[in-house]
Parts: sequence; structure tokens; C-alpha cells
Amino acid sequence: MKITLTVNGEEFPLDVEPRRVLADVLREDCRLTGTHLGCEHGVCGACGVLVDGEAVRSCLILAVQCDGSSVRTVEGLAGPDGEPSALQRAFSAEHALQCGFCTPGFLMVATGALEADPTLGDDPDRIEDLVRSNLCRCTGYEPIRRAITRAAQEARQLAP
Amino acid sequence: MHQWGRREDQRLTMGKGRFVADIEVPGCLDAVFVRSKTGHGTLRSVDCAPARAVPGVVGAWAAADLMDMPACAHSASVLQDLPPVPHSVLARLSSDEAVAGREWPALVKERVRYAGEAVAVVVGEDRYLAEDGAAEVTFEVEPLPAMVRPSDAARDSFPLFDGLSNVALTGEAGQPIDDSVWRDAAAVVEGRYRQSLLLPTPMECRAILVAPDADRLTVWAGHQAPHRLRRELAASLGWPEDRVRVVVPDTGGAFGSKSATFPEYVVVAYLAVKLRRPVRWIEDRLESMMVATRGRGQDQRVRLAADADGRLLAYELTIEADVGAYPHLGVGLPMQTAWMATGPYATPKVHATVRSVLTNTMVTYPYRGAGRPEAAIALERSMDTMARRLSMDPAELRRRNLIPPESFPYETPTGRRYDSGNYAGALELALRTVDYDGWRAEQARRGKDPGAMPLGIGLSCYVERSGGEPGGLFEFGGLEAGEDGSITARCGAASSGQGHETVFPALVARTLGVAQWRVRLIEGDTGEQPEGLGSFASRTAQVVGALLWHACQLLIDEARRRAARMWGVPVERVEWSDGTVRDAHDRSAVLDLSHLVKATGPLKVDDRFETGMAFPFGTHVAVAEVDPELGTVHLLRLVAVDDCGVVLDPEIVHGQAFGSCVQGIGQALYEGIPYGDDGVPLLGNGLLDYLLPTFSEVPPIEVRHTRTPSPGSPLGAKGAGESGCIGTPAAVVNAVIDALQVADPDLLQMPLTPDVVWRAARAPKRGEPR
Ligand code: FES
Ligand code: FES
Repeated sequence: MKITLTVNGEEFPLDVEPRRVLADVLREDCRLTGTHLGCEHGVCGACGVLVDGEAVRSCLILAVQCDGSSVRTVEGLAGPDGEPSALQRAFSAEHALQCGFCTPGFLMVATGALEADPTLGDDPDRIEDLVRSNLCRCTGYEPIRRAITRAAQEARQLAP
Repeated sequence: MHQWGRREDQRLTMGKGRFVADIEVPGCLDAVFVRSKTGHGTLRSVDCAPARAVPGVVGAWAAADLMDMPACAHSASVLQDLPPVPHSVLARLSSDEAVAGREWPALVKERVRYAGEAVAVVVGEDRYLAEDGAAEVTFEVEPLPAMVRPSDAARDSFPLFDGLSNVALTGEAGQPIDDSVWRDAAAVVEGRYRQSLLLPTPMECRAILVAPDADRLTVWAGHQAPHRLRRELAASLGWPEDRVRVVVPDTGGAFGSKSATFPEYVVVAYLAVKLRRPVRWIEDRLESMMVATRGRGQDQRVRLAADADGRLLAYELTIEADVGAYPHLGVGLPMQTAWMATGPYATPKVHATVRSVLTNTMVTYPYRGAGRPEAAIALERSMDTMARRLSMDPAELRRRNLIPPESFPYETPTGRRYDSGNYAGALELALRTVDYDGWRAEQARRGKDPGAMPLGIGLSCYVERSGGEPGGLFEFGGLEAGEDGSITARCGAASSGQGHETVFPALVARTLGVAQWRVRLIEGDTGEQPEGLGSFASRTAQVVGALLWHACQLLIDEARRRAARMWGVPVERVEWSDGTVRDAHDRSAVLDLSHLVKATGPLKVDDRFETGMAFPFGTHVAVAEVDPELGTVHLLRLVAVDDCGVVLDPEIVHGQAFGSCVQGIGQALYEGIPYGDDGVPLLGNGLLDYLLPTFSEVPPIEVRHTRTPSPGSPLGAKGAGESGCIGTPAAVVNAVIDALQVADPDLLQMPLTPDVVWRAARAPKRGEPR
């Protein structure tokens, strides 16, 4: 089936089997391997991407369902000059990653929330809910909470 | 340029990491395994023909098909049969006798011995097509009685291997304790503890890609021991080692579970050679939950004796270990528990016995802590039971028995020689940090308030072993100085999230006195570093750190020798400082390392370096509130005081300690693989059925360190990273028992799920008639 995905601003005209999940199409057809598969059944969140701004588990959605949509993956977080986003910087500064396998999923779910509401930094409970949504086996999560908080507070200061 | 916290972070946060599944090799095929749903049975037939008819399927084989495969005119033609799984006889942890006659076939030949064991493999142009093929394979397994619990299997009513006992190994540490000791002691307590089978669950499952090129193979695998994998794969293929190169790219966690040559790896390498095409296997999570190695798996019985003052007299630990269906490293692993049974106490008599029993479960293997959590949990639970028996504060009982700092090196009755320690120092710091007296007062207050939730405080003092066993305490590597000022470090380790690329260049830069950016690390590649052991047993900071420190000394010595020759002065006159050589008597003779290399040619040093075994230790304290109506445990506080000697990178060690505490909480409260009587794990809903801690389950955790250098290594570093798995579980369990004050603490077996806690909350309390 012919579909078009706009991934990180770039148009990908694709011919995909209807059964292929979005994660596989991003990884294999678009060769964007930053999106990881940790469980392929919707529990871990490593495969998180933004579809039209909404956080989605790309292992649970078919690529054909996203025809015409705009998809953002971890590769699309850096600025135009390749500089890391505030959130990416905060993850590194707070040691919010060890093996880094879960990291793209946490980055995407937090980016989606931050972009939807730049006042997120005022609300620790909502940040905690974000951290609860994914699995990480290495860090014990607290550094991830601190990283998202740090980036959210930075965003808060920049917001009007 | 942005300054990254760790060098790894740049690629890993930008989506540019390179894990095995990310590697693009043209023409690569995907392998999918067809797995038995029966735990124990006779394989009657396998029919792969329908799979071969599926479009996109390149081939499908059962073990029998591979045995019959005609030899092709290729270097693998010497292989008449699919080789068995190599069993890693390593450092006294496993034995050839245990394996003899019980070989692990890479694909089932006659008998299925664990649920999920592969009966066939299908290779397709992509994963979807290979799975289409796998769905068409039919096979028949005639069920046999499943041996699920070690106690049942040990009776040998049904042997897993005809004519051989299910008991694969028996062993002991220490001397048997005379009956009179137990008879005459003022207090003797007993306990029975189950250490459930756990799933290590790195977020990246196992993955391997094997690419043949002429008569060579390049293997990419998320792995802890690339040289072992090279050696074992080469041996399986009957090849010399130098024709196989193993590269470890980014690895998404391991926790002990990625150091073996698994059956799937043997099959994939074999097929890549046979087909002369690259083949990969990317394990999926459901597969991993079924057939990745398990951790722990012990049924323990203990006896602990003390005099009326609470001085320990004797400790006896009996271990019945569930080692899974095939003897592998896990057979000898319970000996680690036996050797560490003494713990941090000056108990004069300690005796531990081990019986490793084969069962119809997937193979047991090291998981973070690997034998030491089982030792610490058994002893620390027993210590609390003893404190209650003697009506003594559990902190005081420990204080009276900890091995004093002046007694090191300390020879334990179970054959360990502890290198250094200040066990009481860690205990006191933990008590102060948690505000032990404050929580005891709160506990007393709640005791008088019938509406208050019961609260408990649990202690756990542990000592662990790091670096490995004798014969495995060395590592290989070296340094190379370039004309451009760069310094390249190489070693046989492999990172799976521990930040080696950051820590080791910093260590080398510090030792040589040069800027960090000049140093880079190459590891996890047998093509770059010919020999190596790898990263396991908390050995990397301790052993590899010492090796790289040693290589710095070699490099400095060589640089001084060269400068002396060049300047025609005695070598004693040449000094090294901050990356330069200088003549102590001639201020004008100064040369940077890079200029020295330009003048005198390539400078490369390589060596093997060995450290002693080290014994990190610490005390963890948990404060728990228990809801007797819901059976839930709410951890209010966890304090972890660890001593891993000299710390190379405080933030990385902190991260390791914190993360491992959360895994320790997982073992105590949530994790465990339930098995049906038929030997099938009851994990039908995947990760919804195996509860990994999420952020909701993480209490406020405070990690602190004391610092007692190891005398066995020039850096004084001991292993870090496993402390939480070792120290935390008993602290949590003891806190729950302390809250509920149950008469029979054995009712509380991990994981302390709401069901377990709810039942225990209804059982007789201490002092009540049972
Ligand atoms: S891979 Fe999609 S949620 Fe785990
Ligand atoms: S950093 Fe390894 S799983 Fe999160």
C-alpha cells in the first residue's frame, strides 16, 4: 500500500505492507533506527514517537494508519544546527541514561508533553506521571524525573 | 559545542546509538525460532516443508534436517552436525563432569527439556516473512512429567537425561558443625527462604548478527564477553579463533545475562556459514521472557546459633538450587552463595552445602549479584529472626558481630579471604542517614495508635565479592600514543551502560596528566584487542581500571627510556610530568609525548594485569509501611551505604548503585517467574505479568559511600554496581516482617506481593498462640 509519512519534516513516499507496524517502517524503511523496540507489546515505551504531536507507541500502530501524518522521532529533536534540545542536554547532565536503550522513548513522551504545555515545569505530579509511563531497567528513574524537571523549568523561564 | 555528561550521551540521546538491530548489512536475513510450548517431552516429529514454501523464506530446518544437510564445498564442510551449546567451564563455577552426557543441543534433537526450547529455525528475507514461515512449521511433542521444583527433580523419579541423575553438582564450603554446638547454644533460629527465579530483563533483548566474508566471520552481538563469544563460536564451527571477529556495539543493558554463547547464537553462526549470507537474530520480548536465562532460583534452609549476649556461634546454610534444564555456568553459581555464606560477621563456625538440580526450566545464569544476593538475603533475614528471639535491637545484634576493621585480611570459615573493610562504619553511617532512632520512635508511636498503618525498619549488612574468581582476575589491554597527540586505550572489556568510554579515558588522562580529550577508548572488539575477558562480576573498574593504570606506568617508563636515549642521559634523570618528559638537570630538555613519538617512532604498550579479589560491603536500611487490608507495601525510605573502595567516577557509581537498588526492590516485592506444574512460565501477557519496578515503585533512596581501599589493586577500587541487588532485598523484607511482627517470618517469601502480605497479616503475631 502506498502511503506518505512526513518524518522529522522530511517526506517519505513509501510502499508498505498493511501489517507493518510504524516502528518497523521507521527503522527499516526510513532507516531511522533511533526508535527502539523493547517489548513490541506496548508496555515499555522505548518505541515512543510523536504522531501529529501526540505521543504514540510505534509498536502498537500500523504505518498505514499514519498515512499523511507528521511523525517525529528522536532524530528530529536536535535544532537545525544539530545542537541538542534542552531535554537532550538535561538527560545527559542528570545522568538520566546508562545503556540508553530506553532513552528515545522517554525523550519523545516528555517532548510531546513539554511542547503541548510549556508550563509543565510547574507541575511535578504531571512530570512524575510521564516518568511512570515507560520502563527503564538501568537508572531507577529518579535521574529521568530530574532531567525532565530541569528541561521543563528551563522551558518555563523562556515561556512568555 | 555542547559539553556532554558522558561521551556516550551524545549519540545515545540524539538517536544515533548503534545497537545490533540498527546495523545495516546488505542482504541480511532474519532468523526466527519455532519453540516448544511444552516444558518436557519427546520430540516425535518436525515438519519444516510447509515453511519452505512460504514466499520470502530462504530455509527452514529442524536439528534432523541440519544433520542431513549435504556438505558444501566450503570451509564449514567439516561440520557434520549442528554443534552443541558451549558450556563455559569457568573459574570453578562449572565442571565438565556436570556437563558430560547432558549436552545442550542448539536445536532440540530428541527431547524438549524446557518450555520455549527451539525445535526449528526459519530464515527469511525479513522478520515478517521468517515469522510467516515459522507459523507453518508443525511439530509434535509427547509430554513427559515436568520436573519444576528442585526438590521434586532431586528425587530422580524422572531423570531429564536418561540414566543420569538430575543432581548435577553437590558441593560445600566450610566444615560440618557438630550437633553439640546447636544443643548448647542459648538461642538457635531456623528459616526457609525461597529465592525466586528472576528475569534480568535488560531493555534490549539479545541480538546477534553474523556476516560471513570469504573464510571469515564478523559477529555483532550485544555482549559482555566478546572474546569468550569469539572463542566459543570458533570452537563450535571448528575454526581457528582468528577467523572470527566479535564486535560489541551499543548494548542495551545486560546485568549478567549477556555473557554466554546461547543456542540461538550457535545456530545463526552455523547458518550464516552454510548459506554464505549474513543472518541475524533479534530476540523479541515474549521470546526473551520464555527463553532468556533466569537469575537466582534457590530453596534455602538455615540455622543460626548465638549465645545469650547475641554473639554468633554457628551458621548453617543448605542450598537446593534450581539450575534449569542443562548444566551451564549456573550449576556452579550456587557455590558463590556457599563461599559467601559467612557474610560480614565473625561467626566462628559456618557450613554451607549446595545441591544443584536440573529442572524443566530455562537455564539459570548470573543475574546482577549472581550468588551473593542469595547469601546476603538468607543471612540477613536470619539475623533479624535472631534479634527477635533475643529481644535485641537488630542493629545492636549486628554491631556485636561485625568483623572489626583491624581483623583484615580476614579468613572466613567458608574459604574467602576478605581484603579490607570497615563494616561497622557503613552500619553506623546508614543508621545515622536514615535516622534510625527517629523511625523506631515513630514505630512505637504507631504501635499505640490502632488507626495507624504498621511500620517496620529493616537492616541488611552485606559483603560481596568483586573481580571474579582466581584464574579470572586479569585483563588485557594497552595504550598507544600517536604523533597527533592522541592516546588510544584498548581493553578486553565491553560496556552495556556503565560508561566505559567516559570513565577510562578520564582515568588514563588523570594518570598521565594530559587533557581528557586526547584519550579515547576502544573496547568490545576482538579485531582491535586480541585478548580479553570482558565485563562481568563487577570486575571492570577494579581489574580493567588497574590494567589501564598499569599501562600508563609502562607508557611513562618507555617514554622516559626513549628520551634518555635521545638525550644521552641516564634514565633516572628523565622525569615525567603532565604528558611530557623532561631532563631533571637541563630545563631546556622538555618534550611532549606526541613530539617524542614523532622523533622516536610509534609508542605502544600492551600487557596483562591481575588484581586480587576484592570484597565491597555496606549496609542498606529500608523503612516500610504495610497496609494489612490491601497487603500493599509502601516503602517510605531506603538508605544504601556502599563501600566499593576508591571510586573512579562518583556520578557513574552513584547511578549504578541507585539503579541496582531499584532492581533489589524488584526482587523483594514484585519480580518472580511463576511456573505451572507443566513447566510452562505463566507469563502469557508479557511484561504485564512480570512486574518490573516503574517510577511509581521507587521510594526516596539515598545512596552514600564509605571508602575503604582494596589493597589488592593499585587503584584501590573494588567492584561497584551490584550492591543494590545484594543489599536491598533483605532490608525490604526485614522491614515488612518488622511491621507485621508475624510469628512465622517464613510466611513472607519473596516477592512480597499483596497476596503474600495480606495472608501474612492474618497469621498469628509474635507472642500470640499459633
Ligand atoms: S516496544 Fe513499544 S511499548 Fe515496548
Ligand atoms: S538507560 Fe538502560 S534501560 Fe534505561
